[in-house]
Formats: sequence, structure tokens, C-alpha cells
Amino acid sequence: MSREIDLDKILRDLSPTTRRDFLKQAALLGAGAAAIPTLIRNPMVVQAAPSTKRGGNVRVMGHQEVTSLSPDDDAPSVHWVMTTQLHNALVEGNEYNVVERVLAENYTVSRDGLQYAFKLRRGVKFHDGSEFTADDVKYTYEWYMNPANAANGALNFKSVDKVETPDKYSVAVKMKEPFAPFLLNTASTYIFSAKYHGRIGEKAYKSAPMGTGPFKLRDWRPAEFTIVDAFDGHFRGRPNIDQFRQDVVPEASVRAIALRTGTSDSATWPLLVEDNLAFETNANYVVFRTPSTGLNHFPINNKLPQLSDKRVRQAMMHAIDRQRLIDDVFRGTAIIADSIYTPAMRTWYDRGLKKYPYDQTRARALLEEAGWRMGPGNVRVREGQRLSFTCAVITGDRARRPEAELAQQDLAQVGIEMRIVERPVATILEQLPKGQLEASLFNWTYNSGALEPDPQSTLKTGGVRNFANYSNPKMDELLDRGLRETDVKQRQKTYQEVQRIFVEDVPVIYVMYWDWFNVFSKRIKGLPVKPEDGFAIYRNAYKWWIE
Amino acid sequence: MQRYIAVRLMQGALVMFLVSVATFGMLHLIPGDPISLMIGEARISQEQIDLIRAKWGLDRPLHQQYLSWVGNMVRGEFGQSVVRVGIPVRTMIGEAAQVTITLNLIAFLISMALAIPAGIMAAVRRYSTFDYLIMVSTTIGVALPNFWVGLMLIVIFSLLLRWLPPYGLPGWQGYVLPVVVVVSSQLALLARLMRSSTLDNLGEDFVRTARAKGVAESGVVVRHVVRNALLPIVTVIGYRLAFILSGTIIVETVFALPGLGQLFIESVNRVDYQVVQAIVMILSVLVVLGNLVTDLVYGLIDPRIRIR
Repeated sequence: MSREIDLDKILRDLSPTTRRDFLKQAALLGAGAAAIPTLIRNPMVVQAAPSTKRGGNVRVMGHQEVTSLSPDDDAPSVHWVMTTQLHNALVEGNEYNVVERVLAENYTVSRDGLQYAFKLRRGVKFHDGSEFTADDVKYTYEWYMNPANAANGALNFKSVDKVETPDKYSVAVKMKEPFAPFLLNTASTYIFSAKYHGRIGEKAYKSAPMGTGPFKLRDWRPAEFTIVDAFDGHFRGRPNIDQFRQDVVPEASVRAIALRTGTSDSATWPLLVEDNLAFETNANYVVFRTPSTGLNHFPINNKLPQLSDKRVRQAMMHAIDRQRLIDDVFRGTAIIADSIYTPAMRTWYDRGLKKYPYDQTRARALLEEAGWRMGPGNVRVREGQRLSFTCAVITGDRARRPEAELAQQDLAQVGIEMRIVERPVATILEQLPKGQLEASLFNWTYNSGALEPDPQSTLKTGGVRNFANYSNPKMDELLDRGLRETDVKQRQKTYQEVQRIFVEDVPVIYVMYWDWFNVFSKRIKGLPVKPEDGFAIYRNAYKWWIE
Repeated sequence: MQRYIAVRLMQGALVMFLVSVATFGMLHLIPGDPISLMIGEARISQEQIDLIRAKWGLDRPLHQQYLSWVGNMVRGEFGQSVVRVGIPVRTMIGEAAQVTITLNLIAFLISMALAIPAGIMAAVRRYSTFDYLIMVSTTIGVALPNFWVGLMLIVIFSLLLRWLPPYGLPGWQGYVLPVVVVVSSQLALLARLMRSSTLDNLGEDFVRTARAKGVAESGVVVRHVVRNALLPIVTVIGYRLAFILSGTIIVETVFALPGLGQLFIESVNRVDYQVVQAIVMILSVLVVLGNLVTDLVYGLIDPRIRIR
């Protein structure tokens, strides 16, 4: 009980009611290289819990295999749910989208954004009992920087020049150039043990990880489950629960049944919309609804002659009744998108952006203005070209295929023909950025992490994930500037400008942001009150207890 | 006899070669890249992707990749998965195969134990209530999709009765519902086949002769009819080896069993070349050998087909 009061107090400091405070923190963090040496007040780093209720196991369900337990492979969310139990970083983003100092006790950033100095927490132990020191940070960062390792996360270290260790508990990172996402994307990298990782190598590490995290690996069967045990020597105190386990359950309806039978306590990957809504009204469960950062959209090839005029793309925005898609296909569990960021990204989202209300008259006018006249079969034509394209939805995508079909009807009403075909995900990801497909429909996160706005890979000319083949020199320049900007105010202006150009150019038909549901059994206590990031909740398993 | 087997094995080797080229070709020519999928939404540059591809040897010319794959396979090495790194493909398949084989073997034995007597009974008592019962229930079994049957069984036995776990393999209990699903879909085919082939044989001259000789009706059925009627069943069993995988993908997915079907479908989705290739090759070996064994078993059951 006393613990809940403590937690409440903490939450009051962080909850959206104290938004000004929150914004201030987020802004400073988002800037990364903030102009003044910043010390972030950090109420969340507390001892795990007063050990009132110790014991018990927590079992959650993911939808996919956990194919590796190395932090370098933890892009798939089900992987991350496990690596985060095993490892810690200098700083980590939490479920309130606030950065916590974890292995770093505090840090300073130089005015020019070229030097970061971290003071490390003392007395932190790895699972093998060895002490965590500056050498481990240096080893980890240098491992990512070394091209020979071809690390997946190497790009976050591209601007790092060198890592120095003035003493056992200090790390100094020198940058080649300012890199605004440093704290959020680089310093949040989980730390390897230099001795252990150096000895066994990354390949072996993937199945035998060992970090400073609150849990240590017990058993891992990729296609079946991953089990971790409480680590007695954890620096924030031993977790209350004895064991945390994630099972692989591909079928969403079976996950829902397992929650009802009590076989499992939570689903890390969402259930079917109907089940989510049913659990929300069931008093035996705690359901968190958080905004997803993945933009549900139709990327369309801007290089196609019939789609290259931005007025055509704007007309498509007006022609599609997005609220109907949300209500009919997703039972209202989404919000209309009007930027590449969700409104939940408070620091970066711009409220004053141009909106595209459902207005087919306006859509028709835009098309007429662009020279597209109604032709045979109710498809518009211009200079012998039909206003027609093909949208490749993901093979077997039962959730989004109906969405594409409704949009198809809306577009047909203004004289745009959208044909629908199905292609495997791998094919879409490969062919779309190369301009070998005309359009698709899926969700993608344009920013890089909950607090970091950079959309380089999607909106910059030639970006690896530039699904729309979009190219605007002004945009390219802004995106480069945004990464180097050290002042948060300036940076906000830059990304405001990025959003304005985005909504004006409409490189993709942006539709909605889904609500993200995380269902927990009432049995689990110590859950957050109003989290903003659904996944990050699982990072806190070390604070949970079981009634 | 040995010569026959040798010729058949050589034909099999040719089939295997063609399968290997086709599998490799299709997997590599269909656009899609495991690295790109693995990285997902994380920040990445083209240079970085190229580096990672080089690390896995995916940047080499296709014929080189093919040759090194075949070379490894001949030595019994299936290579490394680019997704589940550090675990040999052989181990992955071995573990998954245990689950799939257990599931199919139990289901198969139960199916046979039920289908053969049921089919014979239905044939002997043609147009009886029992016959209609068998025919209707097997039709239902074959008509209901495995996916739906699986979910309904979970709803009934896990959610309502709480007798069995809804997913996974906590012990033998985990096999119960999946086995029921597989049996329900196989039973229909086998029972109907057994019934019709028993009926065919019941009308044969040798049956009339046996009866005329004064052999008891049970002896006629067991010694003369059933032995002949089993032939088509053996054929079907041989071919079914090939469908072990396709038949269990859905069952394994619904019940979250870590078997070959699930491994296969996940690997296809992730474009995990080595795993998909290895599974396809192993299956084609099974089919080739399965057919050979079927032909040899024919000889055992029916001396007329024996090869000299």
C-alpha cells in the first residue's frame, strides 16, 4: 500500500497534468545536445520496491519468435521485451516518454554538442558478479562503431569520434559533428560486459546474453518461450517477481483466450480489436490505450506521371473519408493523422498544420485544376493518360485489406482508379523504395523513437525507406539541419517546417494512428497509471508484484 | 531388386537436384531481403545494409551462393540462419521436427486404429445406420476447416471446461487438442477410402470362391478382403508424408506449437533462405523415399506386384 502512494507521488510529477514540466523535460532531452549542461530530475530511478510481496511468476505472450537476445537485434518488439529485462543503458526512455538516467548517475553536454560526459553509477553488477565500469561503455560503443562488426545499430554511432574513460566511473564521448538524437538513440544503447561479450563474441552472445538488467536468462527456446529469473544482485534491488516469461502465440484470438483462462498475464502484441474493446470493459483486467507511433498510410510513388502532381495527391486526401475507415474497419480505435507525428509527440507535433477534411467537391475541383477530366468508365484522363494506379497490400492482411477497399470506393467516386493486389511484406519493403511498385498500405513510424523526430530514412531523397520516392531539396536540407541542431527551440522550428512541407506536398496518403492496446491481468500490481508508450510498460517488470 | 532400388534412387537424386534449383531460384528471385526485414523501422543507411549483407555472404553472385549451399548440404550441413544467428539450421529443424513428428505419429496411429475398422464395418454393413453415421461424421470432419475446429476446441476445453491449456506444450496435455484436429481431418479420408476399397473387394470372384469353400464370413473379410483393401491405404499414407508439413502449419499456428510448420511459415515470412531451403529439401527427400518405400510395401502385401 505504501508503495502505491509512493508511486502516485512519482506519477503526479510525470503525468500529463503537469504538462509544462513534462514539456520542459522532453524538450531538453529531445534536443540532446542542449545548450546548457543539463541534469534531469529523475524520480523514476528508485529501488525496485519495498519487498512486501515477493514471489510469483509473470507470463506474457508475444506473436512472433524471439530469434535473438542481443540488443543489436532487438528492433522487433517481442525481442525488445526480453532484452530490456536483461540489460541496461546509460539512459533509457520510459513509459511516460521521459528519459531516465539508469547506468549514468548524471551527465553533461558541451555547448557545441560535441562532448558528452557521463558519470556512472557505482556498485552496478553484471549477472556474473563482475562490476560495471567505464570500460564496458567504451567497449560497447566501439563495438557498434567498428564497421567490421556490421552492427545493425551502427548508424546511431556514425557521428561518434571517440570514447574515452578518464576514470573507472567516467565516460567522455567526443563527437565528429553534433548529433541531436545522441541521448535518445545512442546513449540508450544497452551495455555489453566488455569481458564477457569480448570473450564469447556477438554470435554466441545472441543466445547467451548477460547484462546488468533486473533479470538473467534462464531458458530460451526461440519458437516457444523465453524465461528470465530475478537477478539478486541488481543495482535497483531484486525484482519482486521470481520469473518473467514470454511465450510465442501467433494467433491473436488464442492470446485473448489465454488471458481469459489466466494462463497468461498480458499480451505484448495487440489482440483483435473486438477483444481489446471487450477487455477494456472487464473489471478483471487493466487495459492501457496508448497512441501508436506507426502512421497508417498509403505510400504512393511520387515519380509516377499520374501521381507526380501534388494537387492529385491532395485531392486523394480530400476524397477519402478517413473517419469512416476508422469507424468501419477499426471500430473507432484510431485517430485521424494530420502529420508524420502523433499529437502525443507533444514537443514536435504542430497543431496548426493544414488539414484535409473529407470533401469530395474540393477533391474534384483540385483534379479539374490539375487538368484531369472525367473519361470513359468514370476514370479521369489527361493527355491520354488514365488516372489509375495499383496498390499492393500485404498478402493475407485481414485488417488492412478492407481499409484499402473502402478507400478504393471513395477514390472511384472522384474519378481515380485504385486497383488492389497482394504482395508479401518482404517484396513491398524491397520494391517500393525502388519505385517498382506504385503504392501500398501499411503502418510505419516516421520518427525515430518516441521522443526523436528525425524522419531521414523515409523523407530524404534516396532514403532507404523512402517508400514514396519523394524528393524535395528544401526537405533534404531541413532534415540534415535538424540532425545537427543543438538548440531545442531551433530544432522545433525545423521540424515544424518539415511537417508543413509534408502536409503541403502530401508525399504519402496519411490516414490514421491506431490506438495501441496492452491488456494486463488484475493480478499484476505496480503498473503505471497513464503510460504514453505501451511497449515501455514491459521495461518495468522489475517493479511489478503479484497480489 | 537391388537394381530396381538403385535406379529409383538415381531418379530420386535427379528430382532432388531439380527441386534444389527451383527452391533456390524462387527464393532468391522473388524480391525481398531478410536484412531489410530484420532491421524493421530502425534507423539504417544503404551502406549499412550493404555491410550487413556482405557479412552474411548475400552479396556474392547467385551461382556461388547456390554452389556453396549445395556443397554444404551434401556434407549434411544446412548452414546458418541469418535470423536465428548462432544456431545451426540442423538444430532448429531437428527440434521442430520432434514436435511435428510426435504430433503426426500419434494422430496417424489413432486415425488408422479408428479408420480401418470403421471403414470395414461400414462396408460390411453397407447402408446400415452405422454406415450412414460413419459417412456423415467423416464428411463433417473433412468439411470443417482445421483452423475453426482448433479454435472451437480451445474455446470448449480450455476456456469453458478448463481441462487443457489453450496453447503451447507444457506437457503431454499440449498435444491432446492438436492431435484431435489432425485426426478429425485425416479420419474422414482414410475411413472413406477403406470403406470403398473394402466394398470393391467384397464383390470380387475370390470372395465368392472363399465363401463357397465354406470359409466363415469373418475369415473372408479379414484374410481375403482386408488384405487387398489395404493397398490403396498404403499408397495414400506414402503420399501423405509430403503433406505432413502443409497439414500441420495451421494446427501448429493455432496451438502455438514450435513445430516444423510454424518454423517453415515464419522462415518464409522472414525470407530466411537457409531454413526454407533446408526444410524443402528434407521434405523432398521424404517424398522420394516415401514413394520408394510405398512401392516396396506393395510387394509385401500383394505378391503379384513383387519385382524380380
